Amino acid sequence: MSYVEALRLALRRLRTNPLRTALTTLGVVIGVASLVALIGVGEGTQTAITNQIAGLGTNLLSVNAGGSVVGGIRGAAGSASTLTVDDATAIAALPGVTAVAPEMSVANAVVVDGRTNTTTSMTGTTPAEATVRNYQVQTGTFISDLAVEKGLRVAVLGPTTVASLNRTPEAIVGQTVTINGIPFTVVGVTQPKGGAGFTNPDDAVFAPISAVQSRFTGASTLRTIGVSLTDPAQLAYVESEIQSLLRYRHQLASSASDDFTMVSQDQLLSVASTTTATIRNFLIGIAAIALVVGGIGIANTMLVSVRERVREIGTRKAIGARRRDIGRQFLVEAVIVTLGGAVVGVLLGIVVTGAVGSAVNVPASPTLAGIALAFGSALLVGVVAGYWPARQASRLDPVEALRYE
Amino acid sequence: MAEQTGVPPAGPPASPPLIEGRGITRLYSMGDSQVAALRGVDFRIFLGENVAIIGPSGSGKSTLLHILGLLDRPSAGQYLFAGVDTDTLDDDRLAVLRNRAIGFIFQSFNLVSGESALENVAAPLVYAGVRRKERIERAEESLARVGLADRMHHDPSQLSGGQRQRVAIARALVTRPAVILADEPTGNLDSRSSADVFSLLQELQAEGLTLVTITHDQRIADRAARVLRVEDGMLVEHDAPAPYLDHAVAPAGAGGVVADEDASPTPEDPGLRTLGLLAEGDAS
Ligand SMILES: Nc1ncnc2c1ncn2[C@@H]1O[C@H](COP(=O)(O)OP(=O)(O)OP(=O)(O)O)[C@@H](O)[C@H]1O
Ligand SMILES: [Mg+2]
Repeated sequence: MSYVEALRLALRRLRTNPLRTALTTLGVVIGVASLVALIGVGEGTQTAITNQIAGLGTNLLSVNAGGSVVGGIRGAAGSASTLTVDDATAIAALPGVTAVAPEMSVANAVVVDGRTNTTTSMTGTTPAEATVRNYQVQTGTFISDLAVEKGLRVAVLGPTTVASLNRTPEAIVGQTVTINGIPFTVVGVTQPKGGAGFTNPDDAVFAPISAVQSRFTGASTLRTIGVSLTDPAQLAYVESEIQSLLRYRHQLASSASDDFTMVSQDQLLSVASTTTATIRNFLIGIAAIALVVGGIGIANTMLVSVRERVREIGTRKAIGARRRDIGRQFLVEAVIVTLGGAVVGVLLGIVVTGAVGSAVNVPASPTLAGIALAFGSALLVGVVAGYWPARQASRLDPVEALRYE
Repeated sequence: MAEQTGVPPAGPPASPPLIEGRGITRLYSMGDSQVAALRGVDFRIFLGENVAIIGPSGSGKSTLLHILGLLDRPSAGQYLFAGVDTDTLDDDRLAVLRNRAIGFIFQSFNLVSGESALENVAAPLVYAGVRRKERIERAEESLARVGLADRMHHDPSQLSGGQRQRVAIARALVTRPAVILADEPTGNLDSRSSADVFSLLQELQAEGLTLVTITHDQRIADRAARVLRVEDGMLVEHDAPAPYLDHAVAPAGAGGVVADEDASPTPEDPGLRTLGLLAEGDAS
């Protein structure tokens, strides 16, 4: 029997028994779809983590108040009140620096809007904050230079904070709220950055640094200075420039250690990539399990569909089919079923990936590698499981195959 | 070997028996013990003969017929088909013989469901390597011969038992075999359908086909030229083969069914054709 005959026969068999064809194909579809979706969602999670870190700011270098660990004793970060607004201004003058945002913080800021209230953290800063920390405003404006200059009581809220007050961004802009009892006018709401971490960048209040200093902290010391670089390649150079500048300004003896620390976004990213590598390994583990489970499912449906047909194999042998005729018929059928199932499975997997991704708020997208893996392994397992038992049955004497129930 | 005149040979048969068994034994192992379904059976069946196999249930009739049909192999003894020791043939050559030289009819029909009557009948021709167009023509012809020209596109599940068995007969005929082996072909049928199938088989035999039928039906046995009685795995009643009688009158080319359509006008000996097949092996 030629392959053309085998194909003709296989197509007819598949068409005349649509239920069995559907069930067999379904096993392949489910195996492939779940594998594609799992890998897609996994990769999406990984991308999301990387993006969140990138979203913290562009080419960011953070200068934090307080020294690093010396002899096992460390001053509480930010408590050594050494960074000032003047330090920030001086850093801004350095070459290779695009923007500098001094950040003064109020850890517990109670925002009251009529009868509702929420507790968040407030950052006193300048318009440069938007650049340095990568914030966009969805409604209204960010803090203006004028507001900083005049010490105006205006505030920009994060979208999560607005939601906590049961307001829409449009409704809250222009309203007056009180922060720790002091009235502020809301001038803008930031774009959601998406992301949940230890600190949610969407749950925040920004106000002019001058207003925060005069109304809340009273001192001119900063928690952090956010520095945005022109070129990430200059990171080491800019870091050493800032170090010399601040040591000079803080009049540190050459024996004294720094009273500030610097963390670059690169460092965060490298920490994050270690984390995502762990996540990746975890996902590979899950995918491997899914592969085995999906494979067993596919193998099982194919095996069952062949076992149901041992009598047919006996009949065909009785009327003159040779082993290879039977082998070809089942090989072609197995290829058609698994190929069809795998194609449908990939499409379904793509849909499921999107659906799961949006349900759990992860930018999941199916990956080529995942599709190739799912497709390839399904084809291999399906064809072997569909062909092998038929081949075995074709080696029986016809009476034995015919006796099979 | 064979006389080309079509005149019955006067002397002993020139061609070997189509079917010959020597000491055929078939053992089944049941756990530790062994059951002997056949214990040393000898027989010869010549081309064109009409043979009935009878005997009580469980005596070994089906076991014997399966061996004759090359669906099973003896545990011991020698089975020669057209003079060739079948033990020397590999699986593929046995398949070719089953395909071209033998038509087997089962009590339970063994049609492939999901395939129409026409497709079932054409299936052996697929394995014979016959082209599609010719396959369909020959299958239609064969179905017409069994009176099912109007049921070609029915699924076996849409046919009555008698119709199904007639499809099975058409399938057995379509390759123009030398012999039809039928295992209780009317066993699952009501008396009317039985009569139809029975007379169809007798007509085919009369046209020149060799016919071996297992039966419990005394009428069928009476019609057969020769009766083999099997009891407890042995042949207890064994009329002498009738090489000088029945078979010599009818063989080769006597009916359109046996004659190959490409054959020369001279009657061709199906025994030779069968032997040719053996040499041809896995052509297709
Ligand atoms: N696969 C098998 N395994 C074990 N024993 C078997 C097998 N097939 C047949 N037998 C035994 O061989 C003997 C002959 O069986 P067989 O089917 O040839 O009988 P039969 O003459 O055709 O009977 P019936 O008229 O009922 O069809 C029986 O005793 C049966 O039990
Ligand atoms: Mg029987």
